[in-house]
Amino acid sequence: MSEIVRRDPRKEWIARNRLHPEHLDVLAELGEGAAPSEWPGPNGRIRRDPHAVGFTGPNGIKRIDRSGVQQGAGRSSAGDRGDGQPARQRVEIESPAFLVAVVPDLAGGRLSSHDRDLLGLARRLADADPQAPGAVVAIVFGEARESGFAEAGVDRLVTLDEPRLAGYAPEARIAALSAIEESLSPRHWLLPDSALGGGELGRRLAARLGERPAAGLWQIEPDAGSALGWHATCRGAAGSLDIRRDLPRVALALALAECAEPVSETVHAARPLAPPALPEAFSRVEDLGAVAVDPASVALGEAEFILAAGNGIRDWEGYHRAATALGATEGASRVAVDDGFMPRDRQVGATGTWVTARVYVAVGISGAIQHLQGIQRCDKVVAVNVDPGCDMIKRADLAVIGDSAAILEALVTRVEQARQEDGGKRDAA
Amino acid sequence: MPHETTKNAAGALDVAVLVSIGRHPVTGRTRRADQDARAVEAALALDHARVQLIHAGHHETDSEAALRGYLGMGFEALTLIEQAGDADVLPALTDALREAPPRLLLCGTRAETGEGSGLLPYLLAESLGWPIVTGLAEIERVEPEHVTLLQALPRGQRRRLRLRLPAVITVDEAAPAPRQSAFGPARRGALAVSEQASRPDTALADWTLEPARPRPKRLKVVKAASARDRFKAAAAKAEGGGGQVLTDATPEQGAEAIFKLLHEEGVLRR
Amino acid sequence: MLDILLPILIFSALALAAIGAVRRIRLWRQGRPSPVPVIRGLAAVPRRYLVDLHHVVARDKVMSSTHVATAGGFVAAMALAIVVHGLGLAEGVLGWLLLAASATMFVGSLFVARRRINPPARLSKGPWMRLPKSLMAFSLGIFVATLPAVGVLPPDAGGWLVAVLLAAAVAWGLAELVFGMTWGGPMKHAFAGALHLAFHRRAERFSTAAGPGRRSTGLKALDLDDAEAPLGVETPADFTWNQLLGFDACVQCGRCEAVCPAFAAGQPLNPKKLVQDMVVGMAGGSDAAYAGSPYPGKAVGEHAGDPHGPIVAREGTALVDAETLWSCTTCRACVEECPMMIEHVDAIVDMRRFLTLEHGNTPNKGAEVLDNLIATDNPGGFDPGSRLHWAADLELPLMAERGEAQVLLWLGDGVFDMRNQRTLRALVKVLRAAGVDFAVLGNEERDSGDVARRLGDEATFQSLARRNIATLAQYRFDRIVTCDPHSFHVLANEYGELGGNYEVSHHSTYINELLEAGWLSLKASRLGRVTYHDPCYLGRYNGEYAAPRAVLDALGVERVEMARSGYRSRCCGGGGGAPITDIPGKQRIPDMRMNDVSETGADLVAVGCPQCTAMLEGVVAEDRAVVKDIAELVADALDESAPAKDRRRVTEEEAA
Repeated sequence: MSEIVRRDPRKEWIARNRLHPEHLDVLAELGEGAAPSEWPGPNGRIRRDPHAVGFTGPNGIKRIDRSGVQQGAGRSSAGDRGDGQPARQRVEIESPAFLVAVVPDLAGGRLSSHDRDLLGLARRLADADPQAPGAVVAIVFGEARESGFAEAGVDRLVTLDEPRLAGYAPEARIAALSAIEESLSPRHWLLPDSALGGGELGRRLAARLGERPAAGLWQIEPDAGSALGWHATCRGAAGSLDIRRDLPRVALALALAECAEPVSETVHAARPLAPPALPEAFSRVEDLGAVAVDPASVALGEAEFILAAGNGIRDWEGYHRAATALGATEGASRVAVDDGFMPRDRQVGATGTWVTARVYVAVGISGAIQHLQGIQRCDKVVAVNVDPGCDMIKRADLAVIGDSAAILEALVTRVEQARQEDGGKRDAA
Repeated sequence: MPHETTKNAAGALDVAVLVSIGRHPVTGRTRRADQDARAVEAALALDHARVQLIHAGHHETDSEAALRGYLGMGFEALTLIEQAGDADVLPALTDALREAPPRLLLCGTRAETGEGSGLLPYLLAESLGWPIVTGLAEIERVEPEHVTLLQALPRGQRRRLRLRLPAVITVDEAAPAPRQSAFGPARRGALAVSEQASRPDTALADWTLEPARPRPKRLKVVKAASARDRFKAAAAKAEGGGGQVLTDATPEQGAEAIFKLLHEEGVLRR
Repeated sequence: MLDILLPILIFSALALAAIGAVRRIRLWRQGRPSPVPVIRGLAAVPRRYLVDLHHVVARDKVMSSTHVATAGGFVAAMALAIVVHGLGLAEGVLGWLLLAASATMFVGSLFVARRRINPPARLSKGPWMRLPKSLMAFSLGIFVATLPAVGVLPPDAGGWLVAVLLAAAVAWGLAELVFGMTWGGPMKHAFAGALHLAFHRRAERFSTAAGPGRRSTGLKALDLDDAEAPLGVETPADFTWNQLLGFDACVQCGRCEAVCPAFAAGQPLNPKKLVQDMVVGMAGGSDAAYAGSPYPGKAVGEHAGDPHGPIVAREGTALVDAETLWSCTTCRACVEECPMMIEHVDAIVDMRRFLTLEHGNTPNKGAEVLDNLIATDNPGGFDPGSRLHWAADLELPLMAERGEAQVLLWLGDGVFDMRNQRTLRALVKVLRAAGVDFAVLGNEERDSGDVARRLGDEATFQSLARRNIATLAQYRFDRIVTCDPHSFHVLANEYGELGGNYEVSHHSTYINELLEAGWLSLKASRLGRVTYHDPCYLGRYNGEYAAPRAVLDALGVERVEMARSGYRSRCCGGGGGAPITDIPGKQRIPDMRMNDVSETGADLVAVGCPQCTAMLEGVVAEDRAVVKDIAELVADALDESAPAKDRRRVTEEEAA
């Protein structure tokens, strides 16, 4: 079937106009079998079912939409592409006036949201003067699994995938970046100010280039008076100061910043550039590889995924098994610690550790105020409890009421099943 | 792994730790800087090491109290390279380290006051020509020419690195917490003042420094074809504010819902 | 033959005792100097013994009578024996008196022996088990040996065998009771105890002819200005000499052990063993000879020390393990019970001071709490500018704006705790209902320093205290009222040494005064059975047992008492930084206390301390009694239909 939806403005107008004589017919036509909300009653009066009108909004509140689109919504949201995104404009920059070099972190081989923000920032720098646009060069170490460089705003792509750049090889990488500096001499170098990626590489690069970088950058504004035409606002003194200065050649941008919006309206060429010949670098840092870390031994404050146990746990063996299977760090409520089921260093809460996990699964924890204080900074809280009235359920983003042992067991089964499927898929690929 | 270090005192490793004046995030009172204190702790954890503390900066009552915080970790003295208040301490530090180079230089990742760009260790390493490694979790073993260490990666993961000495290692929050600073040694410890010419930081003088403004929170921008879709997306509250409660679900349904959330958040390892 | 043997025995025993005394005194003099009034102290011993010490001993009537008979009998018998047998002056009534004295002593020793048949666990065994036999040997020996002297028996009755047996019995008795007293036997307690009474470091505890003794519970300050002064106690010799003397006075009765909440909870602390370890350290050696209950979970015989060696080793073991010292909740139950007036808490804090100030080794959350106190003036690390956020809607009058008020309401660090904020709100409501003219310090208030001091950080305590004193000096007020007994104790008893002298009242005291003066009118209570938990820092530290009970009675509740209440109240486990240092035991102290509550059948336990509230409310149990502060109970019962009186206006009218 054709993707193109033909709109009939007249019918939509009639559908919006409840007083139009053809209103009901048109509604029926557009609504396509939806339960009618109005019908003539046996005595000829028009009966209305207010419950049949409208739709349930995303926040759970019933909404009545008089715009007429609702009726059409069943078919397709008119004109949109499948994902609701408008078509992007294709941009080619053939002869750039200057280059903006970006070294994304590419954690896991893909552009993170931080990387995308950074590319957005690079685009701002590159596109500031429409008469003489610059080009954004992304410098990628290793083989990228990312396929969306063009959509993220990359004009040129340099892929450096020599084996000696793999792993933790900051010295070789800096040598490579220095070679790019020499061959391409970009006007700007942009890196994400992340702990073990761009933050480190960028500082090394700045030290090598003799530049005083803008670290902790979170805002740029055009400023004709400065050397590169921009000034920057950076966080200093452990986040307690804002430093306003001219934008230097090397900038390290903060992750959570409003520094720039990711590119969303254009699609770029992402044309591969041949990497320059890399100099032989003498390495004094040897990467001996990752060390297996037992999730259970990860410090609670550092843990990203915590499976916490409380008073409601009966099957401790099952709980520990679940933590191992999920790869979660174990946490505990005060009572579980006091009762001797868990060691003291696993206690979460005001009197234990304040945790910052991305996901905190509280099993059999009712949620004393001291405990809830300790999980304030967790992103997502999942509660498993038998008591639907407890405070933890109120805090939780997802709560499952029921027997914790059975739920944990089912979860372990589900995760193992997913792993097998995943493994199967990878084997096939 | 056996903890092999040089056994004779003459072969003891010379370790210098750069310490700075910290600032408490809530009250702004001076204190020992957290990362620097962790660096000191990492140095104290080494067997057979001669640990020296070095601070370069302006000497005043407030900063002395903070420096004594490091002495309280069990040191008799701290080398204080006295500088003017507006000085760039890098040249003075470089000179001092060139004069009496340690085998291993430890410091925090970035300062809690001033520019706090975290560049100083890199500049020192660059000008001394030493390798530098960040994010120390633990020093595993020290040999005459090498040091083997664990580097902290996100999510509590670790990577083992072997580094040629002399070297610079920076320490952040992933390193073990520093020991308590005790009042007695802090009071007794000496500040060994060493004079070095101080050169003003001219670039910093040109910048505007002001208390950090709260950063604007990014609105969830929705690119959509129609104004209505944009409105709908904006009006839709984020998933928070009263979560989903599964009351009469079977364990399997509950597990499926939890699994979905864990999967979306990407915390499940393959 | 006896008339030759007995004088030799008596005088050689006395000579040996004198030598032993010198040696013992030299042991004590290893300690640091501490000036005492020697003559006045010695002169005060009889009164201190008969009035103050006996007041404690008399809590156990049987034991008290036993001790009177045995000790009184012995002292009289010994004195008379010296005269009768030593000097041979048996004329007239003296011999008969000696007979009576030794007979009394014998009866007493029978009671001592009966107690040793199935001794309670708190009593030490070992040499103490032979003590009743020694007492009997001495009293019987003297009695029989005196019979010829008064003419009841012929002088040479029984022949030489009996004479030798008698002499042996008397020698045994003399060895145990006379020179054993100064050579370290069980009777050491008599010698050291008497001198301890004379030279006690808190002489103000004892009554004088002028009146009863005062409570003396505030810790003594360290001199931090003197860079040479030691920071706390590292070795036994770092104690003052009269503290060492005090340890030596221990009679190993184990009353402290029986009341110690940490011991009961299975934490590695036993006050009796700790004092005995100090005695071991003072003389040098190992604790292998100790014959009482050990520290829970720690075997006897693995620890040793000497007078100039460390008490707590940085690594490995020395005399005492650090966790023993950190188990103490500073509840003072041991001090309250000790018949020898030993100051356990002082000693523990002295040793903690060294661990914190010199080792920098405050366990668990201790270091973090102290860092917070230094950086933010409160233990939780909260923004000191947010102390009044909880009361944003209450419009509390600020001292900074008012300059003066009748009552300065000291809020304490509970302002950061959501539970305690309810108590504070209730208290404000009560004060307003009574029309009290009060003001708060607001953000100018700091932690009182209680926790820092109990954790041994005297430097932080003094820093906080001096700054608080400087703040308080800016304002005029009649008295300070607080709902935190810990702040109360520190403000009232420990700031004085640093130059801050205030009249401080606990809120229960103050509410009781308001009730008695008729400033508050209460509705009839609908509360059921209510029991009251005495906070240690209000009761044992400051002697306030009556006012909270009077308030409860005024509320018209059915008040029931726990088995352990008043001066014998069991700690909630929240004092002395114990929840911060968090030394593991077999069970938790607050759980035991809530068991005490449930034994009374009360539905509600009234408290008067934020720590107690937090600890007791933290207990998870089926049908746990509700925990409420006195202020909350009063606020709930306020009769708001009664017209509120404006206290200030009334006073002005009265003045007019």
